[in-house]
Amino acid sequence: MGKKDKQDDQGKEGKTGKYRFIDDLTSDVMFEAYGKDLKEVFENAAEALFTVICQIEKVGHKIEKEIVVEADDTKNLMIDWLQELIARVDVEELFFSRFDIQKITPTILKAKVYGEEVKPELGETVVKAVTYYKFDFKKTPEGYVATVSLDI
Amino acid sequence: MKEKLKQVNEFEWELDKSVRPRMNVKARIIANKKIVDDLDDGTLEQLTNVACLPGVIEPVVGMTDMHFGYGLPMGAVIAFDLEKGLISSGATGFDINCGVNSIRTNLTFDEVNSRLKELVPALFNTVPCGVGSKGKLRLTGDQLNQVLTTGVNWAVENGYGVKDDIEHTEENGCMEGADQSKVSDLAKKRGTAQLGTLGAGNHFLEIQKVSEIYDKEYAKKLGITDTDQVMIMLHCGSRGLGHQVASDYLKIHEQAIKKYNIWIPDNQLVGAPANSKEGQDYFAAMKCAVNYAFTNRLVMTQWIRETFEKVFSKDWESMDMHTVYAICHNITKIEEHTINGEKRKVYVTRKGATRAFPDIPALIAGTMGTASYICKGTEVAMQKTFGSTVHGAGRAMSRHAAIKRFWGDKVKKDLSDRGIVTQSTHPKVLAEESPDAYKNVIDVVDSVHGAGVSPKMVKLSPMGVLKG
Repeated sequence: MGKKDKQDDQGKEGKTGKYRFIDDLTSDVMFEAYGKDLKEVFENAAEALFTVICQIEKVGHKIEKEIVVEADDTKNLMIDWLQELIARVDVEELFFSRFDIQKITPTILKAKVYGEEVKPELGETVVKAVTYYKFDFKKTPEGYVATVSLDI
Repeated sequence: MKEKLKQVNEFEWELDKSVRPRMNVKARIIANKKIVDDLDDGTLEQLTNVACLPGVIEPVVGMTDMHFGYGLPMGAVIAFDLEKGLISSGATGFDINCGVNSIRTNLTFDEVNSRLKELVPALFNTVPCGVGSKGKLRLTGDQLNQVLTTGVNWAVENGYGVKDDIEHTEENGCMEGADQSKVSDLAKKRGTAQLGTLGAGNHFLEIQKVSEIYDKEYAKKLGITDTDQVMIMLHCGSRGLGHQVASDYLKIHEQAIKKYNIWIPDNQLVGAPANSKEGQDYFAAMKCAVNYAFTNRLVMTQWIRETFEKVFSKDWESMDMHTVYAICHNITKIEEHTINGEKRKVYVTRKGATRAFPDIPALIAGTMGTASYICKGTEVAMQKTFGSTVHGAGRAMSRHAAIKRFWGDKVKKDLSDRGIVTQSTHPKVLAEESPDAYKNVIDVVDSVHGAGVSPKMVKLSPMGVLKG
């Protein structure tokens, strides 16, 4: 069953209610990330992204990087945050598995992210970009929900 | 929307510009009835969305393989006026110059099949595949700038490929006017270590055999003479550099749309007026990504040749491993077309569509278990589709649905039972790319063949597949 579980990663509902993958497009991947506050929803969205890119549960935390992102509004902050992480995979040749937002306002965030060097056996797939397709970021009674669609 | 489609003939359908408000031009779809029956309304609506853009030239074209995409369907062709049109980073999409190279050999099926289990892993070790793989080249800033501005010429000067490869590449492997200063530092950083890498998703390297020759004379001109002949197909794009160029300019064009007060029906179709700085900057940066992708595929071609040399103990020239042709199927270009009887230069955006100029090969990539085709462009394509044809089978099922429905190991076994050797970084990619997640490539190619847009010349069947 090991392989089955591994293959099912994208189908998992986010055991702790952090995120959920949605079957929508005829070509790519969509997820909803949840959080009681901005810090949590941004961290959970990053985690969801990296379950698509790599086998996140097998990726260690030994390398630490700092990321600062600024945008015009919170929607764009989310897109730019995820986009920055996608670019870092190529530039730093790292997979990330832990995301710690240290400071966040509606238009700026500062984070420490942790991961390790890319290895083919830890990889899942290349995410080309975050798209605007059905992108949504909204406040709910429970906190925040981000709907994100990825081009694979 | 589908009920509004008017059938023109067996392979041609139209959506008149009255089907919804604000359409500037009609839409044309090249497909047989079976394909049309399976089209969904969302895809057709996307096609009508682009028909609303400023300066669009009649008609917008949906190709047979079209499916729902970002902003516009994959499998679409749009032409824009050189002055009044829009240059749209959104319409061109993220994988700038995703494309296909076809390489021939003079080896026979038996010669290669008996060594396939040695050859496929050897290629897998030579051509970096998948998200965790590391490129073997580390370019300096100057080298990268040369790749961006001179394309495959850089490759040939540095021992990757030969002059003959340049002549058999669309645009001769280098778009003029590429300006590296319009490419962001981040995009360049992403491109530094990825030249000569395959990537993942639907990108592949395939060993094929010629399974049918429909036009012997044409095939002979391509160096294809025998149904037992082994061929190679390479499908990939501009990697992180191209994705970053697209992402960077989507943001710039989001602002430009507001600045120039342009109404667009879907914000994924952002762009800038053709003559604006934002439009021309993107065009110059996009050309850099195009040149990078052409070079990427040629570098890998040379590594494939070297791997064959090792496995078969012959030099690649004696195995006749020349590029049959190299095409792109995600691009915006300036081309001359006849519009209302008058020859005009226009911008043509092909999103998941292949150039099909008269007598020039058009390469149509199938899926893992199914055939690929070499077709030939025609005058009909010039008249009907701005000289374009399909790019592949087109997805019929989402990746997520495919993962839930298929097992990678089962897909691998099914292919293996049919004699097809596969190697991928992990089984899931085989499930995602299961042949059953795609439209039937035979219906797709038969439609463009029947429509006279791009008659099929050669059919290629998979023997070995490498996926990221």
